[in-house]
Amino acid sequence: MTGEHAKTRLSRSDWYDLSRDTNWTFRYVTEEAAFPEELSGSHRVSGEAWTRWDEPYKISYREYVHNQVTKDATTYSLKNTISRSKLFDQLDPGWKSVILAHYGAITMPEYLAAIGEARMARFGRSAAWRNTATFGALDEMRHGQIQAFFPYGLLDKEPRADWALKSFHTDNWVVLAVRHLFDDMFVANDAVSIALQLTFTLETGFTNLQFLGMAADAMDVGDLEFGALISSIQTDEARHSQQGEPTIKVLIDNGHKEWGQFLIDHMFWRSWRAFAVLTGLSMDYYTPLESRRMSFKEFIEDWVVKQFAEQFRDFGLEYPWYWDQFINEITWYHHAIHLGVWNYRPTVWWNPDAGVSAEEREWLEEKYPGWNSTFGRNWDVIQDNLRSGNIAATFPETLPIMCNLCQIPVVRAAGVMAGALDSAAPLRHTHNGRTYLFCSEPCKWIFTQRPERFAGHKSLIDRFLAGEISPPDLSGALAYMGLSEAEQGRDATDYAWALGPVRGI
Amino acid sequence: MALLPLSAHFENDVVALLIPVDDQDTARVVGQKIAEHVVGHRVAARSAPIRVRYEGRVLPPEQRIGEVGLGPLDHVEAFFDES
Repeated sequence: MTGEHAKTRLSRSDWYDLSRDTNWTFRYVTEEAAFPEELSGSHRVSGEAWTRWDEPYKISYREYVHNQVTKDATTYSLKNTISRSKLFDQLDPGWKSVILAHYGAITMPEYLAAIGEARMARFGRSAAWRNTATFGALDEMRHGQIQAFFPYGLLDKEPRADWALKSFHTDNWVVLAVRHLFDDMFVANDAVSIALQLTFTLETGFTNLQFLGMAADAMDVGDLEFGALISSIQTDEARHSQQGEPTIKVLIDNGHKEWGQFLIDHMFWRSWRAFAVLTGLSMDYYTPLESRRMSFKEFIEDWVVKQFAEQFRDFGLEYPWYWDQFINEITWYHHAIHLGVWNYRPTVWWNPDAGVSAEEREWLEEKYPGWNSTFGRNWDVIQDNLRSGNIAATFPETLPIMCNLCQIPVVRAAGVMAGALDSAAPLRHTHNGRTYLFCSEPCKWIFTQRPERFAGHKSLIDRFLAGEISPPDLSGALAYMGLSEAEQGRDATDYAWALGPVRGI
Repeated sequence: MALLPLSAHFENDVVALLIPVDDQDTARVVGQKIAEHVVGHRVAARSAPIRVRYEGRVLPPEQRIGEVGLGPLDHVEAFFDES
């Protein structure tokens, strides 16, 4: 480029608003026909009001491509270098479980999130929003690709890295839960709801922060490959997650705060449930003790409760009606799920790390006072069985009851044990003659607000009782969930935690 | 004789379980069927008798579960009676 050209080039701010304004006046179709409400979800607010949608993070296509190429080049070259090393073999067994669980649960949803972003890119009512969402769709395609390719490179070391692609083609119970969540959040959702539920609630509230922490943890345990991957994704997410803010602002400015509040309340709870299962276990049990910088509870309190919740209060939104229950669950819910997942370890594609050696119990007691006298007592029984060689007693022989909304085992009994709940019985609701069971009031509330959205789905228990799982026992359930014997999870350390020094001795 | 799948948990365990029982089973047998999955697995065994509670009411040990009015996936709780 000559100096003459450089002088005449416009700065981005001179042309950006014009270039992103691709709105035009429809003459051959109605606004409703071009933006069907079922897909757009935007008709509470006029078309004119949507023109005030303004993204906080502005980028041109040229800048976008330049940034993304740089990110991919850096991350892929790091992977190529590391793949020839023995780095994966040297990782802590618990950390290997973190990344295996992550790839199986997250890779395909990243692909599917491209559908959600594309829906906003087509059915968002503001041209600026459609422009931003187009970048978001490209982001999510990249995240799907990169998170399929990285585990592919691990196949010779860990065949279950294949679950990055395989999981969503199975009816594994974790996948049923993840698929139900993301179908609700973006695959079967309208543009406005996706902006509020995917980008504002899940990404701004949970994953954007989690990815920052996860990348730091990866570096700390020496997993440079996963750390680089997660950092590369997080920087995209920090940009496209900002679609939520202008969308909620347009709703509020036009008198529809209540609808925005409902959508956020709905998805904040669901995000919390998924997050507790995936991140709660990773942070408090799977990550090596020496690499834990904060407990899951501290993370939720510092990042989600303080930062995100204060942000949505800044918009004039209220805390969700179940806020006290959410705060209460931070101290016990994921401990119960962890115990269950470890117990049902053959049903997952990673090796659950018990994470309850004598030193780890000390840490748990410090972070969660009372842990030893509640969950610790359950682990004592398990440990006694392992120390006496009765390993068979540490495996389950029946299925847990699953929630008909979140599809996660009902662990209210642990809430009673922890002094947080009065009753362990699943909550019930009958709709069109069918009875549904729920793990919590918010899950029941989400279902009953729009039952037609969820009523047709069958939980693993519904399928079992309908005779869809054969033989009707745990072996039949494992086959139904797509787990060959070689794929079934085992204790991450071959019970080393149980055979070492006992607490207090 | 009919299969009755129940939701159940044992006191001081963490999770609700699918427990298939027969509607002719007594509460004592139902308690044992729940305990089989929990006691000695996640809850320590004790020498106290096992009882079953439904909607806050302790069932007489010899009462047949089908006579209690339980439906599929109704929830019962088993516990050690140390009173």
